[in-house]
Amino acid sequence: MTHAETSEEMSHEEAANDRVMFGFWVYLMTDLLMFSVLFAVYAVLHGNSLGGPTGRDLFSPPLALTETLILLTSSFTCGLGMIAARKGIKKQTLFWFGITFLLGLAFLSIELYEFVEFIHEGHTMRSNAFMSSFFLLVGTHGVHITSALIWAAITLFFVAKRGLTKSMVRKLSMLSLFWHFLDIVWIFIFTVVYLMAFV
Amino acid sequence: MSTESHVTKSNTKSEHGTTGSYVIGFILSLVFTIIPYYLVVNKVIAGNALLAVILSIAILQMAIQLLFFLHLGRGPKPLYNVVFFFATAGVIVLTISASLFIMSHLYQNMSPEEITTRLAQKEGISQLGGEKTGACKELGDNHIITIKDGQVSPIHLEASLCDTLTFINEDNKKRVMKFGSHTAQVSYGGEYEVVLDDGRPETITLNQSGDFAFHDDQDINTDGHFSVAP
Repeated sequence: MTHAETSEEMSHEEAANDRVMFGFWVYLMTDLLMFSVLFAVYAVLHGNSLGGPTGRDLFSPPLALTETLILLTSSFTCGLGMIAARKGIKKQTLFWFGITFLLGLAFLSIELYEFVEFIHEGHTMRSNAFMSSFFLLVGTHGVHITSALIWAAITLFFVAKRGLTKSMVRKLSMLSLFWHFLDIVWIFIFTVVYLMAFV
Repeated sequence: MSTESHVTKSNTKSEHGTTGSYVIGFILSLVFTIIPYYLVVNKVIAGNALLAVILSIAILQMAIQLLFFLHLGRGPKPLYNVVFFFATAGVIVLTISASLFIMSHLYQNMSPEEITTRLAQKEGISQLGGEKTGACKELGDNHIITIKDGQVSPIHLEASLCDTLTFINEDNKKRVMKFGSHTAQVSYGGEYEVVLDDGRPETITLNQSGDFAFHDDQDINTDGHFSVAP
Protein backbone atom coordinates (compact mmCIF):
# COMPACT_ATOMS: atom_id res chain seq x y z
CA MET A 1 0.00 0.00 0.00
CA THR A 2 2.61 2.47 1.11
CA HIS A 3 4.79 1.36 -1.76
CA ALA A 4 2.05 1.99 -4.35
CA GLU A 5 1.35 5.37 -2.83
CA THR A 6 4.94 6.50 -3.07
CA SER A 7 5.32 5.38 -6.67
CA GLU A 8 2.13 7.27 -7.56
CA GLU A 9 3.44 10.37 -5.85
CA MET A 10 6.67 9.92 -7.71
CA SER A 11 5.02 9.80 -11.08
CA HIS A 12 2.99 12.88 -10.19
CA GLU A 13 6.15 14.64 -9.29
CA GLU A 14 7.89 13.47 -12.42
CA ALA A 15 4.99 14.63 -14.55
CA ALA A 16 5.13 18.04 -12.88
CA ASN A 17 8.87 18.07 -13.47
CA ASP A 18 8.34 17.24 -17.14
CA ARG A 19 5.84 20.07 -17.50
CA VAL A 20 8.22 22.57 -15.95
CA MET A 21 11.06 21.47 -18.21
CA PHE A 22 8.85 21.62 -21.30
CA GLY A 23 7.66 25.09 -20.32
CA PHE A 24 11.24 26.18 -19.99
CA TRP A 25 12.04 24.65 -23.37
CA VAL A 26 9.19 26.67 -24.92
CA TYR A 27 10.67 29.81 -23.39
CA LEU A 28 14.07 28.96 -24.87
CA MET A 29 12.55 28.52 -28.32
CA THR A 30 10.79 31.90 -28.16
CA ASP A 31 14.06 33.42 -27.03
CA LEU A 32 15.66 31.81 -30.06
CA LEU A 33 13.05 33.52 -32.26
CA MET A 34 14.04 36.87 -30.80
CA PHE A 35 17.69 36.14 -31.57
CA SER A 36 16.77 35.11 -35.11
CA VAL A 37 15.21 38.53 -35.72
CA LEU A 38 18.37 40.20 -34.42
CA PHE A 39 20.43 37.95 -36.72
CA ALA A 40 18.21 38.94 -39.66
CA VAL A 41 18.72 42.63 -38.82
CA TYR A 42 22.47 42.12 -38.64
CA ALA A 43 22.53 40.15 -41.90
CA VAL A 44 20.67 42.96 -43.68
CA LEU A 45 22.56 45.91 -42.17
CA HIS A 46 26.13 44.66 -41.63
CA GLY A 47 27.37 46.29 -44.85
CA ASN A 48 25.96 49.73 -44.07
CA SER A 49 28.84 51.31 -42.21
CA LEU A 50 28.34 54.76 -43.73
CA GLY A 51 31.95 54.92 -44.87
CA GLY A 52 33.17 53.98 -41.40
CA PRO A 53 35.15 50.85 -40.56
CA THR A 54 33.51 47.50 -41.31
CA GLY A 55 33.70 44.24 -39.37
CA ARG A 56 36.87 43.34 -41.23
CA ASP A 57 38.61 46.45 -39.84
CA LEU A 58 37.29 46.15 -36.29
CA PHE A 59 37.07 42.52 -35.23
CA SER A 60 39.94 40.50 -33.87
CA PRO A 61 39.62 36.79 -34.81
CA PRO A 62 41.87 35.49 -31.99
CA LEU A 63 39.77 37.34 -29.41
CA ALA A 64 36.55 35.87 -30.82
CA LEU A 65 38.12 32.40 -30.87
CA THR A 66 39.15 32.78 -27.23
CA GLU A 67 35.61 33.75 -26.27
CA THR A 68 34.23 30.75 -28.16
CA LEU A 69 36.64 28.30 -26.54
CA ILE A 70 35.89 29.68 -23.08
CA LEU A 71 32.15 29.38 -23.60
CA LEU A 72 32.47 25.86 -25.06
CA THR A 73 34.53 24.72 -22.08
CA SER A 74 32.02 26.26 -19.68
CA SER A 75 29.22 24.38 -21.44
CA PHE A 76 31.20 21.18 -20.92
CA THR A 77 31.89 21.81 -17.21
CA CYS A 78 28.21 22.70 -16.79
CA GLY A 79 27.32 19.26 -18.17
CA LEU A 80 29.74 17.59 -15.74
CA GLY A 81 28.18 19.59 -12.90
CA MET A 82 24.76 18.33 -13.96
CA ILE A 83 25.92 14.71 -13.87
CA ALA A 84 27.26 15.24 -10.34
CA ALA A 85 23.99 16.91 -9.31
CA ARG A 86 21.92 13.96 -10.58
CA LYS A 87 24.18 11.60 -8.65
CA GLY A 88 23.61 13.78 -5.59
CA ILE A 89 27.27 14.64 -5.00
CA LYS A 90 27.12 18.18 -3.65
CA LYS A 91 30.84 18.93 -3.55
CA GLN A 92 31.44 18.01 -7.19
CA THR A 93 28.30 19.85 -8.27
CA LEU A 94 29.48 23.04 -6.61
CA PHE A 95 32.96 22.57 -8.04
CA TRP A 96 31.91 22.12 -11.68
CA PHE A 97 29.22 24.80 -11.59
CA GLY A 98 31.73 27.07 -9.86
CA ILE A 99 34.15 26.57 -12.77
CA THR A 100 31.30 27.22 -15.20
CA PHE A 101 30.51 30.46 -13.37
CA LEU A 102 34.13 31.64 -13.49
CA LEU A 103 34.46 30.81 -17.19
CA GLY A 104 31.21 32.69 -17.85
CA LEU A 105 32.63 35.66 -15.98
CA ALA A 106 35.81 35.48 -18.09
CA PHE A 107 33.74 35.39 -21.28
CA LEU A 108 31.71 38.39 -20.18
CA SER A 109 34.87 40.35 -19.31
CA ILE A 110 36.34 39.78 -22.78
CA GLU A 111 33.08 40.84 -24.40
CA LEU A 112 32.90 44.00 -22.29
CA TYR A 113 36.56 44.72 -23.04
CA GLU A 114 35.79 44.51 -26.78
CA PHE A 115 32.78 46.82 -26.41
CA VAL A 116 34.75 49.36 -24.38
CA GLU A 117 37.56 49.30 -26.97
CA PHE A 118 35.09 50.03 -29.77
CA ILE A 119 33.43 52.84 -27.85
CA HIS A 120 36.82 54.39 -26.98
CA GLU A 121 37.72 54.36 -30.66
CA GLY A 122 34.48 56.20 -31.33
CA HIS A 123 32.48 53.31 -32.80
CA THR A 124 29.29 53.41 -30.78
CA MET A 125 25.79 52.15 -31.31
CA ARG A 126 24.96 55.50 -32.88
CA SER A 127 27.78 55.47 -35.46
CA ASN A 128 26.01 53.58 -38.23
CA ALA A 129 23.54 50.80 -38.97
CA PHE A 130 26.29 48.17 -38.88
CA MET A 131 27.40 49.17 -35.36
CA SER A 132 23.79 49.41 -34.13
CA SER A 133 22.94 45.92 -35.30
CA PHE A 134 26.26 44.57 -33.98
CA PHE A 135 25.83 46.00 -30.48
CA LEU A 136 22.18 44.94 -30.43
CA LEU A 137 22.87 41.31 -31.38
CA VAL A 138 26.04 40.69 -29.36
CA GLY A 139 24.83 42.88 -26.48
CA THR A 140 21.57 40.93 -26.17
CA HIS A 141 23.60 37.74 -25.89
CA GLY A 142 25.77 39.43 -23.25
CA VAL A 143 22.69 40.44 -21.26
CA HIS A 144 21.55 36.81 -21.32
CA ILE A 145 24.97 35.68 -20.09
CA THR A 146 24.83 38.27 -17.31
CA SER A 147 21.40 37.14 -16.13
CA ALA A 148 22.48 33.48 -16.31
CA LEU A 149 25.48 34.33 -14.09
CA ILE A 150 23.27 36.06 -11.52
CA TRP A 151 20.86 33.12 -11.63
CA ALA A 152 23.76 30.67 -11.19
CA ALA A 153 25.19 32.60 -8.24
CA ILE A 154 21.84 32.53 -6.42
CA THR A 155 21.18 28.85 -7.20
CA LEU A 156 24.67 27.78 -6.13
CA PHE A 157 24.28 29.73 -2.89
CA PHE A 158 21.12 27.79 -2.08
CA VAL A 159 22.64 24.47 -3.14
CA ALA A 160 25.50 25.11 -0.74
CA LYS A 161 23.08 26.06 2.01
CA ARG A 162 20.27 23.52 1.60
CA GLY A 163 21.89 20.68 -0.29
CA LEU A 164 20.80 18.94 -3.49
CA THR A 165 17.05 18.66 -2.96
CA LYS A 166 14.87 17.59 -5.89
CA SER A 167 13.73 21.12 -6.61
CA MET A 168 17.35 22.28 -6.54
CA VAL A 169 18.34 19.63 -9.07
CA ARG A 170 15.46 20.80 -11.26
CA LYS A 171 16.61 24.40 -11.00
CA LEU A 172 20.14 23.34 -11.87
CA SER A 173 18.94 21.41 -14.92
CA MET A 174 17.03 24.46 -16.17
CA LEU A 175 20.12 26.57 -15.59
CA SER A 176 22.30 24.12 -17.53
CA LEU A 177 19.73 24.00 -20.37
CA PHE A 178 19.87 27.81 -20.53
CA TRP A 179 23.68 27.78 -20.49
CA HIS A 180 23.95 25.21 -23.32
CA PHE A 181 21.39 27.26 -25.25
CA LEU A 182 23.48 30.43 -24.91
CA ASP A 183 26.49 28.46 -26.13
CA ILE A 184 24.60 27.44 -29.28
CA VAL A 185 23.52 31.05 -29.94
CA TRP A 186 27.15 32.14 -29.52
CA ILE A 187 28.32 29.58 -32.11
CA PHE A 188 26.18 31.43 -34.64
CA ILE A 189 27.39 34.85 -33.47
CA PHE A 190 30.97 33.59 -33.83
CA THR A 191 30.27 32.34 -37.36
CA VAL A 192 27.94 35.03 -38.70
CA VAL A 193 29.43 38.11 -37.04
CA TYR A 194 33.12 37.38 -36.49
CA LEU A 195 34.11 34.80 -39.12
CA MET A 196 31.90 36.04 -41.96
CA ALA A 197 33.39 39.52 -41.63
CA PHE A 198 36.62 38.05 -43.03
CA VAL A 199 35.12 36.05 -45.88
CA MET B 1 23.71 7.71 0.40
CA SER B 2 20.06 6.74 0.16
CA THR B 3 19.35 9.63 -2.19
CA GLU B 4 22.14 8.51 -4.45
CA SER B 5 20.82 4.99 -5.00
CA HIS B 6 17.29 6.36 -5.35
CA VAL B 7 18.24 8.85 -8.02
CA THR B 8 20.16 6.26 -10.03
CA LYS B 9 17.15 3.96 -10.02
CA SER B 10 14.63 6.49 -11.31
CA ASN B 11 17.11 7.95 -13.73
CA THR B 12 16.58 6.54 -17.21
CA LYS B 13 20.00 6.09 -18.68
CA SER B 14 19.33 7.60 -22.06
CA GLU B 15 17.55 10.79 -21.02
CA HIS B 16 20.52 12.48 -19.38
CA GLY B 17 24.10 12.56 -20.53
CA THR B 18 26.96 10.47 -19.29
CA THR B 19 30.46 11.84 -18.81
CA GLY B 20 31.37 10.01 -22.02
CA SER B 21 28.74 11.78 -24.12
CA TYR B 22 29.83 15.18 -22.77
CA VAL B 23 33.49 14.42 -23.55
CA ILE B 24 32.65 13.35 -27.12
CA GLY B 25 30.43 16.41 -27.61
CA PHE B 26 33.11 18.70 -26.23
CA ILE B 27 35.86 17.30 -28.46
CA LEU B 28 33.66 17.45 -31.57
CA SER B 29 32.67 21.04 -30.73
CA LEU B 30 36.32 22.04 -30.38
CA VAL B 31 37.15 20.46 -33.72
CA PHE B 32 34.25 22.21 -35.46
CA THR B 33 35.31 25.54 -33.93
CA ILE B 34 38.93 25.27 -34.99
CA ILE B 35 38.22 24.13 -38.59
CA PRO B 36 36.19 27.20 -39.70
CA TYR B 37 38.56 29.51 -37.82
CA TYR B 38 41.52 27.97 -39.64
CA LEU B 39 39.77 28.17 -43.01
CA VAL B 40 38.89 31.85 -42.54
CA VAL B 41 42.15 33.10 -41.04
CA ASN B 42 44.41 31.27 -43.51
CA LYS B 43 42.13 32.00 -46.50
CA VAL B 44 42.27 28.37 -47.65
CA ILE B 45 39.16 28.87 -49.77
CA ALA B 46 37.29 32.09 -50.56
CA GLY B 47 33.99 33.63 -51.50
CA ASN B 48 30.71 31.77 -51.49
CA ALA B 49 32.37 28.36 -51.06
CA LEU B 50 33.91 29.49 -47.75
CA LEU B 51 30.61 30.99 -46.68
CA ALA B 52 28.74 27.77 -47.39
CA VAL B 53 31.36 25.70 -45.56
CA ILE B 54 31.47 27.78 -42.37
CA LEU B 55 27.67 28.06 -42.21
CA SER B 56 27.29 24.30 -42.66
CA ILE B 57 29.85 23.69 -39.92
CA ALA B 58 27.95 26.05 -37.60
CA ILE B 59 24.76 24.06 -38.21
CA LEU B 60 26.64 20.80 -37.66
CA GLN B 61 28.07 22.26 -34.45
CA MET B 62 24.53 23.11 -33.33
CA ALA B 63 23.37 19.53 -34.07
CA ILE B 64 26.29 18.15 -32.04
CA GLN B 65 25.48 20.33 -29.06
CA LEU B 66 21.76 19.54 -29.27
CA LEU B 67 22.53 15.81 -29.24
CA PHE B 68 25.46 15.61 -26.83
CA PHE B 69 24.80 18.53 -24.46
CA LEU B 70 21.03 19.00 -24.56
CA HIS B 71 20.18 15.33 -25.35
CA LEU B 72 17.36 16.42 -27.61
CA GLY B 73 15.10 13.57 -28.67
CA ARG B 74 16.51 11.05 -26.19
CA GLY B 75 14.74 9.57 -23.19
CA PRO B 76 11.21 8.22 -22.95
CA LYS B 77 8.90 11.10 -23.97
CA PRO B 78 10.53 14.33 -25.05
CA LEU B 79 9.11 14.23 -28.59
CA TYR B 80 7.21 17.51 -28.20
CA ASN B 81 10.55 19.18 -27.48
CA VAL B 82 11.83 17.99 -30.84
CA VAL B 83 8.66 19.03 -32.66
CA PHE B 84 8.79 22.44 -31.05
CA PHE B 85 12.43 22.81 -31.93
CA PHE B 86 11.90 22.04 -35.61
CA ALA B 87 8.88 24.34 -35.79
CA THR B 88 11.06 27.11 -34.35
CA ALA B 89 13.87 26.29 -36.76
CA GLY B 90 11.41 26.63 -39.65
CA VAL B 91 10.26 30.06 -38.50
CA ILE B 92 13.89 31.15 -38.07
CA VAL B 93 14.90 30.04 -41.57
CA LEU B 94 11.89 31.90 -43.00
CA THR B 95 12.56 35.06 -40.98
CA ILE B 96 16.21 35.31 -41.95
CA SER B 97 16.04 34.20 -45.58
CA ALA B 98 12.95 36.27 -46.33
CA SER B 99 14.50 39.38 -44.72
CA LEU B 100 17.64 38.97 -46.80
CA PHE B 101 15.70 38.25 -49.99
CA ILE B 102 13.34 41.20 -49.63
CA MET B 103 16.00 43.68 -48.59
CA SER B 104 18.46 42.78 -51.35
CA HIS B 105 15.77 43.07 -54.01
CA LEU B 106 14.57 46.32 -52.53
CA TYR B 107 18.14 47.59 -52.69
CA GLN B 108 18.73 46.54 -56.29
CA ASN B 109 15.36 47.22 -57.89
CA MET B 110 13.44 49.80 -55.96
CA SER B 111 15.68 52.84 -55.95
CA PRO B 112 13.66 55.14 -58.28
CA GLU B 113 16.54 57.29 -59.54
CA GLU B 114 18.48 54.27 -60.75
CA ILE B 115 15.45 52.73 -62.41
CA THR B 116 14.92 55.99 -64.33
CA THR B 117 18.55 56.08 -65.47
CA ARG B 118 18.52 52.47 -66.57
CA LEU B 119 15.22 52.72 -68.43
CA ALA B 120 16.26 55.98 -70.09
CA GLN B 121 19.46 54.32 -71.33
CA LYS B 122 17.64 51.27 -72.66
CA GLU B 123 15.00 53.32 -74.43
CA GLY B 124 17.36 56.06 -75.65
CA ILE B 125 15.52 58.83 -73.84
CA SER B 126 17.98 61.66 -73.41
CA GLN B 127 15.56 64.19 -71.94
CA LEU B 128 12.74 63.71 -69.51
CA GLY B 129 10.59 66.62 -68.31
CA GLY B 130 13.17 69.11 -69.57
CA GLU B 131 16.03 67.46 -67.67
CA LYS B 132 18.84 65.36 -69.07
CA THR B 133 18.56 61.75 -68.08
CA GLY B 134 22.16 60.87 -68.82
CA ALA B 135 21.24 58.62 -71.74
CA CYS B 136 23.42 59.07 -74.83
CA LYS B 137 22.04 59.63 -78.30
CA GLU B 138 25.27 59.26 -80.21
CA LEU B 139 28.07 57.02 -79.04
CA GLY B 140 31.75 57.98 -79.00
CA ASP B 141 34.90 55.86 -78.95
CA ASN B 142 35.00 52.28 -77.80
CA HIS B 143 37.40 51.34 -74.97
CA ILE B 144 38.41 47.85 -74.01
CA ILE B 145 39.21 46.36 -70.60
CA THR B 146 40.58 42.84 -70.64
CA ILE B 147 40.58 40.47 -67.69
CA LYS B 148 43.10 37.69 -67.91
CA ASP B 149 44.32 35.43 -65.09
CA GLY B 150 42.41 37.66 -62.68
CA GLN B 151 44.41 40.73 -63.80
CA VAL B 152 42.62 43.77 -65.20
CA SER B 153 44.31 45.68 -68.02
CA PRO B 154 44.42 48.59 -68.29
CA ILE B 155 43.98 49.01 -64.58
CA HIS B 156 42.94 52.61 -65.11
CA LEU B 157 41.03 53.90 -68.12
CA GLU B 158 40.27 57.47 -69.25
CA ALA B 159 37.15 58.03 -71.34
CA SER B 160 34.58 60.70 -72.14
CA LEU B 161 30.85 60.73 -71.65
CA CYS B 162 28.92 58.64 -74.19
CA ASP B 163 31.93 56.49 -75.08
CA THR B 164 31.40 52.77 -74.82
CA LEU B 165 33.35 50.36 -72.65
CA THR B 166 33.77 46.69 -73.50
CA PHE B 167 34.77 44.12 -70.90
CA ILE B 168 36.50 41.04 -72.26
CA ASN B 169 36.86 38.03 -69.98
CA GLU B 170 39.65 35.74 -71.14
CA ASP B 171 39.56 33.50 -68.12
CA ASN B 172 37.85 30.18 -68.25
CA LYS B 173 35.15 31.08 -65.74
CA LYS B 174 32.11 33.27 -65.39
CA ARG B 175 32.77 36.60 -63.73
CA VAL B 176 30.35 39.08 -62.22
CA MET B 177 31.96 42.52 -62.18
CA LYS B 178 30.37 44.84 -59.65
CA PHE B 179 30.73 48.60 -59.51
CA GLY B 180 32.35 50.23 -56.50
CA SER B 181 34.98 48.80 -54.18
CA HIS B 182 34.91 45.40 -52.48
CA THR B 183 33.49 46.93 -49.34
CA ALA B 184 31.16 49.58 -50.78
CA GLN B 185 29.18 48.77 -53.90
CA VAL B 186 27.66 51.51 -55.98
CA SER B 187 25.63 51.65 -59.15
CA TYR B 188 26.85 52.90 -62.50
CA GLY B 189 24.19 54.15 -64.91
CA GLY B 190 21.56 52.35 -62.85
CA GLU B 191 23.34 48.99 -63.04
CA TYR B 192 25.13 47.25 -60.21
CA GLU B 193 26.96 44.56 -62.14
CA VAL B 194 28.15 43.35 -65.52
CA VAL B 195 27.92 39.61 -66.06
CA LEU B 196 30.77 38.17 -68.13
CA ASP B 197 30.47 34.61 -69.36
CA ASP B 198 33.87 33.18 -70.25
CA GLY B 199 35.22 34.45 -73.54
CA ARG B 200 32.27 36.73 -74.23
CA PRO B 201 32.58 40.52 -74.33
CA GLU B 202 30.03 42.77 -72.72
CA THR B 203 29.64 46.44 -73.63
CA ILE B 204 28.25 49.24 -71.51
CA THR B 205 27.61 52.86 -72.38
CA LEU B 206 29.46 55.39 -70.24
CA ASN B 207 26.52 57.60 -69.42
CA GLN B 208 27.63 58.89 -66.04
CA SER B 209 30.69 61.07 -65.49
CA GLY B 210 33.14 60.82 -62.61
CA ASP B 211 35.60 58.29 -61.17
CA PHE B 212 34.38 54.74 -60.71
CA ALA B 213 35.88 51.51 -59.48
CA PHE B 214 34.80 48.00 -60.35
CA HIS B 215 35.70 44.58 -58.97
CA ASP B 216 34.92 40.88 -59.11
CA ASP B 217 33.36 40.13 -55.74
CA GLN B 218 34.47 36.49 -55.89
CA ASP B 219 38.06 37.49 -56.47
CA ILE B 220 39.70 39.95 -54.11
CA ASN B 221 42.58 40.72 -56.50
CA THR B 222 40.50 41.49 -59.56
CA ASP B 223 39.67 45.18 -59.64
CA GLY B 224 40.23 48.32 -61.67
CA HIS B 225 38.85 51.81 -62.18
CA PHE B 226 37.87 54.24 -64.90
CA SER B 227 37.27 57.98 -65.20
CA VAL B 228 34.62 59.46 -67.42
CA ALA B 229 35.17 63.09 -68.40
CA PRO B 230 31.95 65.12 -68.81
